[in-house]
Amino acid sequence: MIEAQGLTKRYGDKTAVDDITFTIPPGSVTGFLGPNGAGKSTTMRMIMGLDRPTHGTVTVNGKPYAKHRSPLSEVGALLDAKAVHPGRSARSHLRTMAATHGISTRRVDEVIDMTGLSTVATKRVGAFSLGMGQRLGIASAMLGDPRTLILDEPVNGLDPEGVLWVRHLVRQLAAEGRTVFLSSHLMSEMAQTADQLLVIGRGTILTAGPVQEVIDSVSGTSVRVRSPQVAELERLVVGVGVTVTSPEAGTIDLRGTTAEAVGTTAAAHGIVLYELSQQRASLEEAYMSLTQDSVEYRSDVTLTHAKEDNS
Amino acid sequence: MTTTLIDTAASAEQAPRSAVATRTTDAHRTFVGVMRGEWIKLLSLRSTWWVLGSTAGVMALIAIGVAASLDGLMANPLTAQGMGQLNGAALVSTGFQIGMVTIAVLGALVITGEYATGMVRSTFAAVPTRVPVLAAKAIALVVLTTGVTVVGIGLSYVVTMSKLSQYDLVPALDSAETWRVLAGTAYCLVAAALFSLGLGALLRSTAATVTAALTVLLLLPSILGFINVHWVQTVVRYLPLPASQGFLPAGDPNQNLGSGLTATTGLLVIAAYAIVPLVIAAVVVRRRDA
Repeated sequence: MIEAQGLTKRYGDKTAVDDITFTIPPGSVTGFLGPNGAGKSTTMRMIMGLDRPTHGTVTVNGKPYAKHRSPLSEVGALLDAKAVHPGRSARSHLRTMAATHGISTRRVDEVIDMTGLSTVATKRVGAFSLGMGQRLGIASAMLGDPRTLILDEPVNGLDPEGVLWVRHLVRQLAAEGRTVFLSSHLMSEMAQTADQLLVIGRGTILTAGPVQEVIDSVSGTSVRVRSPQVAELERLVVGVGVTVTSPEAGTIDLRGTTAEAVGTTAAAHGIVLYELSQQRASLEEAYMSLTQDSVEYRSDVTLTHAKEDNS
Repeated sequence: MTTTLIDTAASAEQAPRSAVATRTTDAHRTFVGVMRGEWIKLLSLRSTWWVLGSTAGVMALIAIGVAASLDGLMANPLTAQGMGQLNGAALVSTGFQIGMVTIAVLGALVITGEYATGMVRSTFAAVPTRVPVLAAKAIALVVLTTGVTVVGIGLSYVVTMSKLSQYDLVPALDSAETWRVLAGTAYCLVAAALFSLGLGALLRSTAATVTAALTVLLLLPSILGFINVHWVQTVVRYLPLPASQGFLPAGDPNQNLGSGLTATTGLLVIAAYAIVPLVIAAVVVRRRDA
């Protein structure tokens, strides 16, 4: 359980995190979404007591992180895969952390095995690939068998097999009753892994809730119809609250109505249908429309993309 | 104010831990553990061994050099006179001034290496109260520096013995004076290491710390020595190297850094250099973003 109350962080006159309040419940995976510079990493660092909030408080399992007798068994964090001295071996790195809590070398070897680092455990971390660095970061997060996991971009740089492994690990940890809080830029990954979302933009919470609810609240659902008589059908179904867009000739997307209603109308008028389907917006589309106005580092390409997605 | 509450099936906190895992429930943070962690950190980096090795090596080399110059000094009637009061132990330990260079680098790297690589975030995540980390680093440095001083002086003693014996200057191991000089040397090196650690924790950058530490420890006395202004000379007396002459006789009779401080004052001044930056660092590091 992570609870933030009015959490604020200012660097000079720039506000990185602006008065946010949230609760991350145990037993589920909470995704933390937001554009670069939205305040995700700053929030995670404040949870870990690495950055001091300008205002507000954040507690983990009821206490500020630094007040726990055994911090590593309360929270395991992957904040930055580079938080390792490159001159040390993976095993030595884990041993230095384990030693502070009297965690056994057996547990060190266990997390090394678990993260698939056995063959490189004695190699210097400086020679590690991005993916191996991520695995080491996850290994150090798991070291204290923590009740809460905070993972900042855990699948960054991992190969497909690694991504799948992280997904299963995260689901399993949540199923064991732990609190899992993870950020990712990969929407498809988030849609598959997270139970609920916390969407942040320019330091404020844009929306929060179960994944599908967030998507629906932003984009709603639409009905796609493909028909040789699409113009005729359009004339029949369009009414109050129904909007029509046409992605290509012979195809229309209807909002504000249901597939049932469209199908019944089509049958009643003897209109041929090639396709009639309920369309759900993807998380990516929902995310783009949510964060459009709060993107810190905007490029022309994403701008165009975002517009298309919302057309 | 943004208020957001995610309500999902908030399942029981007492849900089972993963069955395969080794139990770590009895694990908790202790100062002994933090000490062990810092110890493993130091010994698991090659740079530590390089710095320690070169400290002992440089001390021995300087001692050889000083011993080799004895022939010339003794042959010259101008210098031969002063050689009479020369202390053999001081000769053997002359290398400590250069040893300070490498020891200061070690003291700096112990903390700035963490900031430079990002390791400090792992360290402070494990020990969020932070000050124990600084204390543990200081203790580990004291142990290592004392150890390397013993090795360095031992090495210097062995390699200069044959030369010193020609002039009857081999330091007597049963003389209190010998042990006083050797302990004083170790004291200075330990202080240099801690001074550098304190600066490093404050400045966070390796280059800035090493430059600042070496300037204060070694360069300033000779640079400021040229400025013949009364208050500047007073400052110089309280710089580490001149202050150390309050309790360490100069190994080289031509080099007079004597400050006129008493042995006690000298020891206290050196202790201040070791402790003050560390105390300030402890306060700052606790409050600062990592």
